[in-house]
Amino acid sequence: MKISLAKRSREGKLALLALGLGLVAVTGDPYGGGAVTINAQELVTMVEKEVDHVTVQELADWIIRKRSDYRLIDVRDAESFRTYYIPGAENVPVSQLIDYPLARNERIVLYSDGGTHAAQAWFLLRARGYAGAKILLNGLEEWKDQILFPTLPEAPTPDQMAALRRAREISAFFGGQPRNGGAEAAAFAMPQVDAPAAGPAPAARKKKEGC
Amino acid sequence: MSAPLFKFGLFGDEFSLLVAFGIGIAFGFFLERAGFGSARKLTAQFYLSDLAVFKVMFTAIVTAMLGIFYLSWAGFVDLSLVYFEPTYLLPQIVGGLVLGMGFVIGGYCPGTSVVAVATGKLDGIVFLAGLIAGIFVFGEAYPAIASLVNATSMGQVTLPQVFGLRYGLVVLLVVLMALGGFWGSEKVERWMAGKRAAEVAQ
Repeated sequence: MKISLAKRSREGKLALLALGLGLVAVTGDPYGGGAVTINAQELVTMVEKEVDHVTVQELADWIIRKRSDYRLIDVRDAESFRTYYIPGAENVPVSQLIDYPLARNERIVLYSDGGTHAAQAWFLLRARGYAGAKILLNGLEEWKDQILFPTLPEAPTPDQMAALRRAREISAFFGGQPRNGGAEAAAFAMPQVDAPAAGPAPAARKKKEGC
Repeated sequence: MSAPLFKFGLFGDEFSLLVAFGIGIAFGFFLERAGFGSARKLTAQFYLSDLAVFKVMFTAIVTAMLGIFYLSWAGFVDLSLVYFEPTYLLPQIVGGLVLGMGFVIGGYCPGTSVVAVATGKLDGIVFLAGLIAGIFVFGEAYPAIASLVNATSMGQVTLPQVFGLRYGLVVLLVVLMALGGFWGSEKVERWMAGKRAAEVAQ
């Protein structure tokens, strides 16, 4: 068999090129496999500038205004999720995050009880190129403290009145109640939540595209 | 810089329409240059005398596949953001058969009929009118056939996912399939030419 390249027709050369590229392709994975590269400086800068988090007030505001341009991911286990979750949340434990259908250009808000698991999930996603991943600052603890059961001053000054009314409305919206004085947040019953939907429907969220 | 450029917000909705227009013009131009504005050329493949359509289409598939594969492997394309049609197995088989029948009878597929209209071919104009009428009939009949249209949904799946193969292996298999197809189609063309010559000689 002749291997000489010069003797082959243009079509023959192109066919050989395609075959070569096809052979090399066997080893590759266009989705990047499990390996990731991390831009440490970029991550540090993000942490420093605190652009990596969303506050509970911001999130509450998004939910009340029915914004739909973000995904809210609860990284706790399924049992905790059944007891209570922030409205609109999808339950994805950290171990399942890699296979979960999220798009790299989506705004993704992660939360856990405190902030540790959410931070781990955040790192995992950022390292894999999910530029829109953010942490809910201080997680569900903060959500309970500030949104569900906010501590309101006993004798508000006139300046505080507007903020106080707002806090009361937000708390009521999410089924909580403001506490007065030194009551512990844990003493209050968590609001009832509907049984979570059986898995999200990312396909339904997608805008129809294509020809 | 990462692609898809639109998804990463490099340009907005309006500019994306201009880009689509440019790509569409280029697509039509190259279809015409490949001779696909002629119903004779297109139907010749069903009589096995000229398999140019098969060869051009498979060449395009292999070129695009290798390009996208290597660009995303190198990190220039985020493949998870590239949209592709979800699979509805049964309705797509039925639709493929209907399209094939229309192709044999009318001499065009939808894209090439538009190319034929652009060069002023009468049969192309008739075909395009039929195409638009067909869209209208489909829309009106949709309530009656909705259960068929939405049957056997498999979601957005790729061949590597369905067969559980390595992505790169599927790339190689498609390349081999194309090269085998090119080789086989040349054989068929030569065989048909010989047969025709024998018929003429008789």
